[in-house]
Amino acid sequence: MKTNKSGFTLARYIGLYCSIVIVLLSLLVMQFKGFNFAVDFTGGVITEIQTSQPVRQQQLQEALEHVIEQPFSLTNVGNDSQWSIRQAISGDKMPETSLLMNDVNESFSIKVLSASVIGPQVGDELFEAGGLAILASLIAMMIYLSLRFEWRLASGAVAALFHDIIIVLGVFSWLQIEFDLTVLAALLAVIGYSLNDSIVISDRIREMLSSNTKGSLNTIINSAIRSTLTRTLITSGTTLGTVSAIWLLAGQPLQGFSIALFVGIVVGTFSSVCLSVTIPERLNLKREHYQVPEKT
Amino acid sequence: MKQPYKTINRYSKWQYLVIIFTIAILSLNALPNWFGEKAALHVQSSAPNTTKLDNANLFNLLTEQGIAVEQIEQQNKQSIILLKDETQQQKARNSLDALLGEQYSVAMAMESASPSWLKKLGAKPVKLGLDLRGGVQFVMQVDTDAALHEREVKIEKDIKQLLREFKAHGARIGTVKDGSMVLRYPEHIQAKISLVMQELSTLYPQLSQHKNNNQQITIATNEQFAQTYHQELMSQNIKTMRDRIEALGITEAVVQRQGSHFIRIELPGVQDPSQARRIIGATASLDFHQLQSVGGHLYKSNSGEMVRLATSAIMSGTHITDARAQFGEMGQPEVFITLDSAGGKLMSDFTKDNIGQPMATLFSEYQQNEQGVLQKNSKVISVATIQAHLGSRFTITGMESLKATQELAMLLKAGSLTAPVTIVEERTLGPSLGEQNITNGMAAIMLGLSMMLVFMALWYRKLGLIANVALLLNLICLLGLLSLVPGAVLTLPGIAGFVLTIGMAVDTNVLIFERIKEELKRGKSTALAIHHGYKNALSTIMDANITSLIIAIILFSVGYGPIKGFAITLGFGILTSMFTGIYVSRALVNIFINKPSKQVKSSQLIKQVSV
Repeated sequence: MKTNKSGFTLARYIGLYCSIVIVLLSLLVMQFKGFNFAVDFTGGVITEIQTSQPVRQQQLQEALEHVIEQPFSLTNVGNDSQWSIRQAISGDKMPETSLLMNDVNESFSIKVLSASVIGPQVGDELFEAGGLAILASLIAMMIYLSLRFEWRLASGAVAALFHDIIIVLGVFSWLQIEFDLTVLAALLAVIGYSLNDSIVISDRIREMLSSNTKGSLNTIINSAIRSTLTRTLITSGTTLGTVSAIWLLAGQPLQGFSIALFVGIVVGTFSSVCLSVTIPERLNLKREHYQVPEKT
Repeated sequence: MKQPYKTINRYSKWQYLVIIFTIAILSLNALPNWFGEKAALHVQSSAPNTTKLDNANLFNLLTEQGIAVEQIEQQNKQSIILLKDETQQQKARNSLDALLGEQYSVAMAMESASPSWLKKLGAKPVKLGLDLRGGVQFVMQVDTDAALHEREVKIEKDIKQLLREFKAHGARIGTVKDGSMVLRYPEHIQAKISLVMQELSTLYPQLSQHKNNNQQITIATNEQFAQTYHQELMSQNIKTMRDRIEALGITEAVVQRQGSHFIRIELPGVQDPSQARRIIGATASLDFHQLQSVGGHLYKSNSGEMVRLATSAIMSGTHITDARAQFGEMGQPEVFITLDSAGGKLMSDFTKDNIGQPMATLFSEYQQNEQGVLQKNSKVISVATIQAHLGSRFTITGMESLKATQELAMLLKAGSLTAPVTIVEERTLGPSLGEQNITNGMAAIMLGLSMMLVFMALWYRKLGLIANVALLLNLICLLGLLSLVPGAVLTLPGIAGFVLTIGMAVDTNVLIFERIKEELKRGKSTALAIHHGYKNALSTIMDANITSLIIAIILFSVGYGPIKGFAITLGFGILTSMFTGIYVSRALVNIFINKPSKQVKSSQLIKQVSV
């Protein structure tokens, strides 16, 4: 099966083992660190404010502590003049923070840009819906793959899919990046992207297997990767470029979204080369599996 | 080589026509976005006999209030006022509402600012989501479990009543638990019990009765009924919310179901949530009670005195099918009520024997107190003497003002909705935040787009230019499609979807061009390479796009609000990028690269496409 290992094959196998380690690490991190869920899921109060002039975090924190009784966290959203105040629900009562902003007596004035109050009930249902969406997408993808490809190639793509999702989740857990609804949407988009890459390579392997290209399976796989590599790199590169544009310019509301996509695309490119075709090889993919009757 | 040339790389005339036609239609629909929207007010008289409004008068009224008016136009019976400053919309609405009085309705809306010829074609700019426009968003929880429980308690009461009527002494009904209750009785009254049960099943056909032994029957609400009841309550509540919001004068509000127990309400343009909260947050129920001199319950009436009412109602508001505010013969405001047949019968039976007796209308509202606990506040809104034998149509008088009467009529219409509704989420987004989101989103699109255009032009040269034209057409088509399809909303994640579409559209062309390069390297002629490049890449493109489309559909059906906006742009983006990436780019390649008259030698194309 693996006769003469070329550098390419070696790289693929090293990649495969690295992936397994990273996936296990991600699972461990998720187990121990959990997620930093946004108010979308946990319920709570977010008040976004704008100060009349740029202020230091310390200064604003102290000024707000005079008026807000409940514990809150303050983050800078932009240019030291836009801030977001987050509070969890304490007891049954929702803190009415936005009403308190006029009472801040400092050298600057505060304007409330947005005020959100989210009850915990909504989050519970969102959680279910989100989980359902991911599950439904995974199942739909598996059905589609099993229709289009023989099970060995399909399971390679599916493994790459799970790999990508788990690592993106792992990164979010490890860095405790806020997990909000847009991140969920990004995860689903990652599922799509991850498959795209795997499909392009698998398609090529299928094509080569059924057209009786000479050479061992290993050479076929390597040449399939080689011939799609330019495309894979261009597409990943350009998509990463556009995602970076969102990351850099679209502002704080899409931060989590673009980070999830960025990580997902990097990992997805890696997994499509290392996992999605190496696993079918390990599963004993053979030329005979794609000896479809010749088309006329 | 000339033979396959003409046949393989040419589209027929109708194919070009289809392409041109599609692009023309979609660009025309995309065009109004260039002009944008203006905040507007719609003023209309709510009563038929009021005097028509003078537009000059409106203009003066608003200018006196310091509100900058751009234009007022008359459309049918409506005056449409275009405002210069979007932030003044709420203020303008409130002051006009107060100045014009109750005979006119003033609604907030957005009007397209495109020239009139474009408006006449029916093209409208894409609707912006709350995160791009500013506004208030509520999520309400409908407590259908409480409603179901209340209904069960009512059934329990009815059973007790039946047991008394049939003189089934000694029978005992247990309290409701998990939707079922147990009736225990001595064996000798079995005959009477079966009569009671028969009567019960005609009253409540959805109840299931299970005889455990000769002394015990379990009565249960069946699961399926509970389900349908829940669904009905939800859809009824959504309808009520729509009606109430209409009364608030917001034409572009979104009311939709979210998950199993929630209703999502988006009120674009609203900056002060308190008024909206008051109107949509209440659940009203109405009951008609007989007055009593002893016993019963004490309630406060509108005029401040205490009224003693019988505990059980003559009839509940669930029988109300319609309620309207109108002026009575004496010019006093009154609510005209129509009942369903069962309600009509109840009312008729009662009033027949009670002419000259007083009857009270008890209005109850579920409201949240400071601790967030639901409370039922009841007050007597009218005590009227029964003048005649009432049927299924009658009026209630005694409200403070016309406005109060109108509000009551509106709430009564929803009288059949007795499920408590609470606000569980409230978000206010300032208009400046929305504007900032648009600016940021546009900047991201511009950066992503220009990176892509430069890269493609450098990497693929002539083919790259074609891909770039296809890409730009793709964005125009996507914008046109979003503006054309009703219900499509552009949100901030939707803008991100736009940016991602740029990447995806380019992928389609990269797949094709890489194939063409490969074919050229194998020594095929330009024409054949193009032909095979497109052909071979097609199945891969399809695979990749169909999987993404499945994701978009799932996201659309599960998500809502901003996420739904993302799913919509992503899904439509896949469709338009397939159209422009495969079909349009092929047409361009056919015309510009593959010109039979100006043949490009394959060696040249290799040079052009490989840097």
